[in-house]
Amino acid sequence: MIGIENGQYNIGHICSRQQCELGKGAKTAFRWISPRQEIIDYSFADLDAESSRFAQVLQTLGFAPGEILFTFLPKAPEQFFTFLGALKLQVICGTLFSNFGDEAILDRLGDAKAKGVVTKRSFLKKLGRIRDQLPDLEYLIVIDIEQHLATDILSYPALMREASGDFTAPPTPAHTPSVLHYTSGSTGKPKGVLHAHRSVLQQSRTAAEVLQLGDTDIFWCTADQGWVTGTSYGIIGPWSLGVTQIHYGGGYDAKLWFDLLQNEAVTVWYSAPTALRMLMREDAALYRPYRLGALRHIFSVGEPLNPEVINWARLTLGQDIYDTWFQTETGAIMISNRPGIEIRPGSMGLPLPGMEPAIIADDGEILGNDQQGNLCLKSGWPSMFAGYLNNDTVYRQKFKNGYYYTGDTALRDADGYYWFKGRSDDVINTAGHLISPFEVESALLELEEVAESGVIGAPDELLYEKVVAFVHLHKQYAWSKELEVRIRLHVSNRASSIATPQEIIVVGGIPKNKSGKIMRRVLKARYLGQDVGDISTLEE
Amino acid sequence: MELQEKLNEIFCQVFDDDDIRILPEMTANDVEGWDSLSHVNLIVAIESRFGIDFSQKELLTFKDVGDLLNCIRGKIAS
Repeated sequence: MIGIENGQYNIGHICSRQQCELGKGAKTAFRWISPRQEIIDYSFADLDAESSRFAQVLQTLGFAPGEILFTFLPKAPEQFFTFLGALKLQVICGTLFSNFGDEAILDRLGDAKAKGVVTKRSFLKKLGRIRDQLPDLEYLIVIDIEQHLATDILSYPALMREASGDFTAPPTPAHTPSVLHYTSGSTGKPKGVLHAHRSVLQQSRTAAEVLQLGDTDIFWCTADQGWVTGTSYGIIGPWSLGVTQIHYGGGYDAKLWFDLLQNEAVTVWYSAPTALRMLMREDAALYRPYRLGALRHIFSVGEPLNPEVINWARLTLGQDIYDTWFQTETGAIMISNRPGIEIRPGSMGLPLPGMEPAIIADDGEILGNDQQGNLCLKSGWPSMFAGYLNNDTVYRQKFKNGYYYTGDTALRDADGYYWFKGRSDDVINTAGHLISPFEVESALLELEEVAESGVIGAPDELLYEKVVAFVHLHKQYAWSKELEVRIRLHVSNRASSIATPQEIIVVGGIPKNKSGKIMRRVLKARYLGQDVGDISTLEE
Repeated sequence: MELQEKLNEIFCQVFDDDDIRILPEMTANDVEGWDSLSHVNLIVAIESRFGIDFSQKELLTFKDVGDLLNCIRGKIAS
């Protein structure tokens, strides 16, 4: 685990300059492998120089501590330089998933009053469509143009050429705001989960104690930096320990992934259940030629890992897979299966020492073993989020009697293992990403053919949950394949590809209660062929 | 309109980028946002536009845009 030196909690400093000061300047911080498999190695000295140069760029542009910069990029080396550079200047860095659509981007940039976005040329059109609704957005910094396009559309390479790079992070107290990720709820707009630089303590500790990262490891975290795993464990955790990572810019490809695991001699691999289930579906012969002797551990995060995947990995790869649990608000792993303790396949594992989870009933009673209830965490862990941006009311509602309510339901067995049971709200977990049914319903209602919509998550063998949309069409419209395409593309381009309904069901009406609220539990029960329960509040 | 041009239009629509210029050798790694979920949108859009249906087996054989073009061409011809 890292040592905090002279009260300096700055994540950007700890992940780069501090590693150089510890004698790791020449060590590879990351091997960048482009989608076309071109390779560039960056040392910790490079990481420090590039991030410091970018911090100076931001300072020259007038960014001040506490202001907000976003990255809106596919995987790229500039993602890491700009993220750490912003944090060095104490600018808050938000990250956006590169497949977000207009509405999703607008919600996040607008709520955060973002001052700048680091992006790619191909995303300028998307940003241009919403730019006039973002009065606080002063700069678009584009990584793949050589010259500035306008006073507010700037070339990253040109800015970096003009900066001297002479920048040292100021002393940064633990509580200084750092990283911003938006997360979806079952109602309303996504909430900005704001973290503080102190989170590095927990991210570093869990990288060492759960992921078992040490000085000689080669670590591969497949998560996108648009999500919390991508920043907590694709950037902060490993680099705070001076661990070498690989970052691959391409998407899922079973053969290519195994080429990387073998040829890059990856020792610790952190991925997601959906990806692991996709690998499990491949022909077993694919894996036979590979020699993964360097690989010590495989970990998983995002949604519950089914025991079949663990059994497949034991048979095919000769490895266990350790499931870990955390969420955007917790900032770091809280509960996990991990080397050194018995794996209980299908369980979330055991809490980390020092973490105090509890299962609490809706009335506030702390429940005993084998009783299902709200999964809560005693507040005060180092990586606990500092607040929801501009939404203190909801932040306070998340805490009761000193416990943070995670929104998950679970139970604890007699041996202290926790078992995920579901969500206490309507949020959909598809392929490890939380989707707000409200956001999808809102996008659907923008189509002139759709009179009403209701969206649920339904069990899916690959994605854990799939997005299922119920639509009630205006009477003058009929269902057609063309309309299905329009619906899919509209949701994908307004929200994101992951929010696109996997199934669209045309219905004669959407069940609502007497105050007009969509009764998603009724839709879900009908979809699953279950008893719909109490429908006394259903609108006639 | 050439088949490739028609398919190009669909790519622009699906991936929300008017600058896409498809080539037969292009793969998912060459188009921003071409992931497994947007691939479903692409396939549904192609089926709708050309009035064809792909089998599961055919879907597994597509390694690049060229494979997709050849399959569409074959289905239209038959």
